[in-house]
Amino acid sequence: MSIDEPSLARLMAASQRGDRAAYRALLNDSGKWLARYFARRSAPHQIDDLVQETLVSMHRKLATWDPSRAFLPWLAAIARYRWIDMLRRQRDEAELGDNDAAVGAEDEAVHAKLSIDHLLALLPPGQAQAITLVKIEGASVAEAAQISGQSESLVKVNIHRGLKKLAQLIESE
Amino acid sequence: MTNASIDELIDGLADELEPVRPRRVARGSLWVAAGWVGGAAALIWLTGMRHDLAGGTMMPPLALLSFWLIVALGLAAAWSALRMGLPGVGRDYSGWRWAGLAALALPLTALVIGFGDTHAAMEAARPENGLRCMIEGALSGLGVGAALFFWLKGGAPTSPPRAGWVIGLAAGAAGATIVALHCSSNDMIHIALWHGLAVALSGIAGRLFLAPLLRW
Repeated sequence: MSIDEPSLARLMAASQRGDRAAYRALLNDSGKWLARYFARRSAPHQIDDLVQETLVSMHRKLATWDPSRAFLPWLAAIARYRWIDMLRRQRDEAELGDNDAAVGAEDEAVHAKLSIDHLLALLPPGQAQAITLVKIEGASVAEAAQISGQSESLVKVNIHRGLKKLAQLIESE
Repeated sequence: MTNASIDELIDGLADELEPVRPRRVARGSLWVAAGWVGGAAALIWLTGMRHDLAGGTMMPPLALLSFWLIVALGLAAAWSALRMGLPGVGRDYSGWRWAGLAALALPLTALVIGFGDTHAAMEAARPENGLRCMIEGALSGLGVGAALFFWLKGGAPTSPPRAGWVIGLAAGAAGATIVALHCSSNDMIHIALWHGLAVALSGIAGRLFLAPLLRW
């Protein structure tokens, strides 16, 4: 079944009235749409978590959809909020010095790199390099400092500032 | 999507679905109006109406202009905050910024007047001549602040920091309009400084204290 705005809006309107069959269909379609949405924005190992978190948020905030408006911009706003929330958690990890929480498998790192390349290009080079080395390529802070020629504390600061800036960039998207 | 855990989640969510009533900005607006009127009624009941207004006299033009500018800021901020509760990519919540920019005319005017008469400006800036207005202004806006906070708590603001700011500004501006019904000063420096501080401090308080509570 193709996922189109009018049928999603109809399913959502029925869901708000308590129609469970419509809701199940809506959640399925939304899950597929969200998987594609997040595939362009985050590493593959994070997609399922983001889809699930967004579906739960959607469930909790069902009443905030205005039936006179389109459905997909509403879903996208919730998805974007969950994505920013994940970036914030990563930033907090960076603040706590948990620098091992990087992407593991090499192919995942390549996908992550592809999806956030255009955002990283908008950051100052030092911040983009620190995030790329530690958060995407999985280097430790010490290794990143050695490769980039930045001090260890500067690497941490650049990761913190860069992730904060990324969240702002996404919010203003 | 083949992930079994997502299918399980969907089953669980669908099973616990209950009908919901879509949230309407119009209903939130009524709560804000009630908070505004309630705050005004409380302040006037506790401290009384300013004498000239109670006697049927109009405010002087500059004070009246300031009053309406702050009303416009309060309305624009409250409207933006209400809309923030119903998310949607591409929706514009920035109306309050233009009203805020227009309201900057007040401190700018006060500055110009202050440079012309520094003695009067120093006198107006003394805390004993204005601190009370600021506190009463901030407190009078609590009704509007509470209405917006609970509206957004049940809504889905996608930028809690911005929502905190805007709630605070709306509450502060509402409080400043309420205190203008009680405070008999028509001095621009007093209005811009002390009534303006109620707006600015409420905005800061909203950002600091409400933003973390608005995460979901």
